[in-house]
Amino acid sequence: MSNIDLALWSFPVLLVLIFMRTPIALAMLAVGFIGNYLVIGNTAMTLNQMKTLTYGTFSNYSFSIIPLFLLMGQFATLSGMSAALFRAAESFLGHRKGGVAMSAIGACAGFGAICGSSLATAATMGQVALPELKRYGYPGSLSTGALAAGGTLGILIPPSVILVIYAILAEQNIEKLFVAALIPGILAALGYVLAISIWVRVSPNSAAVKDRVPWAQRMVALASVWPVLTIFMLVVGGIYLGIFTPTEAAAVGAAGTGIAAVASGQMSWAKLRLAILATASATAMIYLIILGAGFYNNFLALTQLPQTASAWVGAQGFSPWLVLTAVLIMYLVFGCIMDSLSMVLLTVPIIFPIMVVLDFGMSANDFGLWFGILVLIVVEVGLITPPVGMNLFIINSMDKDTPIGQTYKGALPFVLTDMVRVVILAAFPSITLWLVWVMDSWVG
Amino acid sequence: MYQMLTNSTRILAQAMALFGGALLLLVVGVTFISIAGRALVPLDIGLGPIRGIYDITEIGIAAAVFAFLPWCQLERGHAAVDLFKPAFPKLMNRLLDVVLDGGMLAVAALIAWRLYLGMMDKLTYGETTLIAQIPVWQGYALSLMGAVGFVLVAAFCVLRSLRALAYPQTVGDA
Repeated sequence: MSNIDLALWSFPVLLVLIFMRTPIALAMLAVGFIGNYLVIGNTAMTLNQMKTLTYGTFSNYSFSIIPLFLLMGQFATLSGMSAALFRAAESFLGHRKGGVAMSAIGACAGFGAICGSSLATAATMGQVALPELKRYGYPGSLSTGALAAGGTLGILIPPSVILVIYAILAEQNIEKLFVAALIPGILAALGYVLAISIWVRVSPNSAAVKDRVPWAQRMVALASVWPVLTIFMLVVGGIYLGIFTPTEAAAVGAAGTGIAAVASGQMSWAKLRLAILATASATAMIYLIILGAGFYNNFLALTQLPQTASAWVGAQGFSPWLVLTAVLIMYLVFGCIMDSLSMVLLTVPIIFPIMVVLDFGMSANDFGLWFGILVLIVVEVGLITPPVGMNLFIINSMDKDTPIGQTYKGALPFVLTDMVRVVILAAFPSITLWLVWVMDSWVG
Repeated sequence: MYQMLTNSTRILAQAMALFGGALLLLVVGVTFISIAGRALVPLDIGLGPIRGIYDITEIGIAAAVFAFLPWCQLERGHAAVDLFKPAFPKLMNRLLDVVLDGGMLAVAALIAWRLYLGMMDKLTYGETTLIAQIPVWQGYALSLMGAVGFVLVAAFCVLRSLRALAYPQTVGDA
């Protein structure tokens, strides 16, 4: 068996292992380890590398953003900001048709600006918004679907853990990726609001609206979310202007949300303990997958598969747009069953070298940013598509009266807006890149 | 006996995770001070950024991540696709649990063993970090605590799955 055959065979083996419930990190470690052995002919080299590989991966300065962002997100859930954001959004949108659900989306978007995790955003906003949605008579399908979709804004709006990982794998600039994610993130929120607006007009089972809030009170409500704005500007602005390294910015963000949590009076030793345990579990999971992906990609690199595949695709003369479409559809399909992080770690090292040689009529730097945002969106759709959509499960478990089938149905309109958005962003790269260009011309 | 083991493993895993959390908070604090120091440089009053803040961050985060591994293992926190779990026979799921926990134990043991050898190498060569000149083996030693904890907890998880396989009625179907 040639090395390329080995590499090609490793995909089905990996998939079978994963479907047999093997933890994804373990599957990648095992296949990578055995693959290395088959290519090299002994285990001595791999074992020797392992003396420094694990520590080297875990101590990598670029990766250290991840636990700090996770901690920041955990503190953000304790800061009481979710309730303040929801109240502020309600004062602006509550009197519209479907306004309470729209407010939940708006609050999710705001929360996404200080939280880099979709699950934490969905869970936190669910606690605040679900009872209110119920009180105003929203059907369970709409409220759980909207909140599950709103949760994905946690990742789509920077800071974002997935973008950090993509940046490291594809050797892209984290600062610029965060800036590039901003407009698509806002478009996502607008798309969700539009979906709600259409839903409540089409469905006869419409919910009650709140009274219009005078502008003076709206301003008061808006002013109460200043910590969110300050922390977001410090983190994303600080990174972009070069005041902080991304790791420093994440530490500043964690400190900021931590201070906000203490100031809100919600922080206690018991809650700090829970926040740390949650951070611990998520961090360990991500790092072990990073280690496994490193192992597996090491093996693939030994077999020369990424170079061979990229040369092959280049030589076939496929239309770049056709390849892009195929790749995005593949992500959507796999997203239904795999979590976004494992998918990005597993595929970007193989897909990115293939994509970057195709000619989309833009510079390699611009392509890296644009492709990253497209990947981010399609993998996040996986969080709200059945059968395995973590956001759907989380929100559904918080609402005892709504069967999971209703939540699946409720998420559907939001998935549709996601599809439309992907097509628009793919067709018009400048929507994503425009802000990066503007910022570049400022910084010089 | 098993109950005692369950409790002590839980305490061990939690204690390690909290230790890792303390390291993480320490990194946040030190980074904050370093940034403040850097901001005060123009005042020229002898304050500046912390020398070797990168080195400190790297060591702190590495040791924290290692310390987080036992808790994640105990809580079954590692990402996996459980889509077909309900479709598999119960016996098969219990057998799979034993095999997969065994696999994790093997990985944990391999990581800890190699980390230990790596530490001995760094100790022999007396390698230090670039800026702060901290001996690299110390970072390894701090990390080894978590790695060993991971082995112990992973071993307990194998026992836990074996027990579920042997006495399904006492453990339920979870």
